[in-house]
Amino acid sequence: MHSCLTFICFALMLTCTAAQATESESFWDRLQVHGFASQAAVKTSDNRWFGDSEQTSFDFTEVGLNASMRLDPKLLLAGQVLYRRAGEMYESDLSLDYGLVDITPLSSAEGRLGLRAGRIKNPLGLYNATRDVPFTHPGIFLPQVVYFDRVRNLVLSTDGAMLYGDRYTAFGNFSFTIGNGWPVMDDNVEWAYLNNDFPGDIKANGPNWLASLWYTDPSERFKLGLSGATLSIKFDPDIDGLPSINRGRTDIDFWIASAQYNAEDWTLTAEYASEPLSWRGYGALVPDRDATGEGWYLQGTYRLRPSLGLMLRYEEGYADTADRDGSELEAATGGLLPANLGFSKILSAGIRWDINPHWMVRAEYAYNNGTFILSSRENADFLARERYWNLFSLQLAVRF
Amino acid sequence: MRLQYWPNKRPVTVFVLPDDHQLHIDFAKTILGLFPYQLRRVWDRQVFSGTGQAPITVANEDEMLRRLSTTPGAIGYLERPPLDARIQTIRVR
Repeated sequence: MHSCLTFICFALMLTCTAAQATESESFWDRLQVHGFASQAAVKTSDNRWFGDSEQTSFDFTEVGLNASMRLDPKLLLAGQVLYRRAGEMYESDLSLDYGLVDITPLSSAEGRLGLRAGRIKNPLGLYNATRDVPFTHPGIFLPQVVYFDRVRNLVLSTDGAMLYGDRYTAFGNFSFTIGNGWPVMDDNVEWAYLNNDFPGDIKANGPNWLASLWYTDPSERFKLGLSGATLSIKFDPDIDGLPSINRGRTDIDFWIASAQYNAEDWTLTAEYASEPLSWRGYGALVPDRDATGEGWYLQGTYRLRPSLGLMLRYEEGYADTADRDGSELEAATGGLLPANLGFSKILSAGIRWDINPHWMVRAEYAYNNGTFILSSRENADFLARERYWNLFSLQLAVRF
Repeated sequence: MRLQYWPNKRPVTVFVLPDDHQLHIDFAKTILGLFPYQLRRVWDRQVFSGTGQAPITVANEDEMLRRLSTTPGAIGYLERPPLDARIQTIRVR
């Protein structure tokens, strides 16, 4: 056991030449550049998941590079570009992940208040804001019943502004975010909510609202959160194109309740997500209807050593809580959409080894009952879907 | 860790030792009351969502001392009090 003496040290605010000579050094200290890259191999017994996984797919690659500059203690500029390949959902996609200016006019030991503007990652649930950074979440795949990969962009980020605040008290820390802006969208939205790619354009119906509220107890062991967004999308059919569906709209409310407990060797996490949906005006091919999607999971991680962790997770998700076994979906579509599209029940187990602060490797197995989480874009032949399927995956990731 | 600037408006620059350094582990647990993985999680979230920056990781206590003595407004921790007039020290344990 080493000595328990510890000293906090401050650099004196000297104005002598020696200190001035180092001002340039502190300027470069205010610029930070970080990045990450990951490659996975995915094998499924049946169904397609991130590419042709029945044969073993390597079509899951993520590369991110970011820079941030603290121009002033109250002013931060930050941006990240993301390259992503995810089976047929993202074939080779380079995007601005976020690019923002962050102003913090008020900051003290009691709290802070600030505003971010630009393209901002949505602070939904525990993982959405950093969902593509492998190091920031347990498991190769996030719990799909809450963090859908088949339609990630609708909730991924917002082009707009967000007001945020923190209050540090003896009873714990309280944080909030409230924002407004345009969702960043792509074709996967249409595949997920209309189950097809009709001739025409899908757009946001207007700017959307989102908000989050977090509480952390004074020991910072226990964390509770509530976050959500209201979204509305519209479909404009091509006028002179092939026969399509009518001009219609889909309204989506999405909210997540989160809880997490952190001990030295283990972390227990649970989240519940609900997604009330309504479809209006598309015509006979996509009839008017309401549904409430739902998903929840319970996840335990255990650290055998700081660099070696185990993960166990159980999750359930439903396309509509009024039809949990999917039987009404199958009956209403005359069997075209089989019941197994209506639910997913998944048990996952994984192991993670942080070889050093830069490299990480992990492996994961998941037993699936149901195909709710699958992308219709990758599995467009609904009748060919297998209800029971296994997933095995390996991932190598690096960061700096 | 949360403070962005000192009362005299000079920016706070935070230096930390590597996550697996024994002094970092002890400092995090006994002084901050946090496990190193919790700190890393908070910093990763800030760095990879553009909502903040991470403290600067130095390799060892020698580099910590050198960076503290040459960076105005910097803060860090050491096992023994440094003999450097440019550095103010508070004994915490």
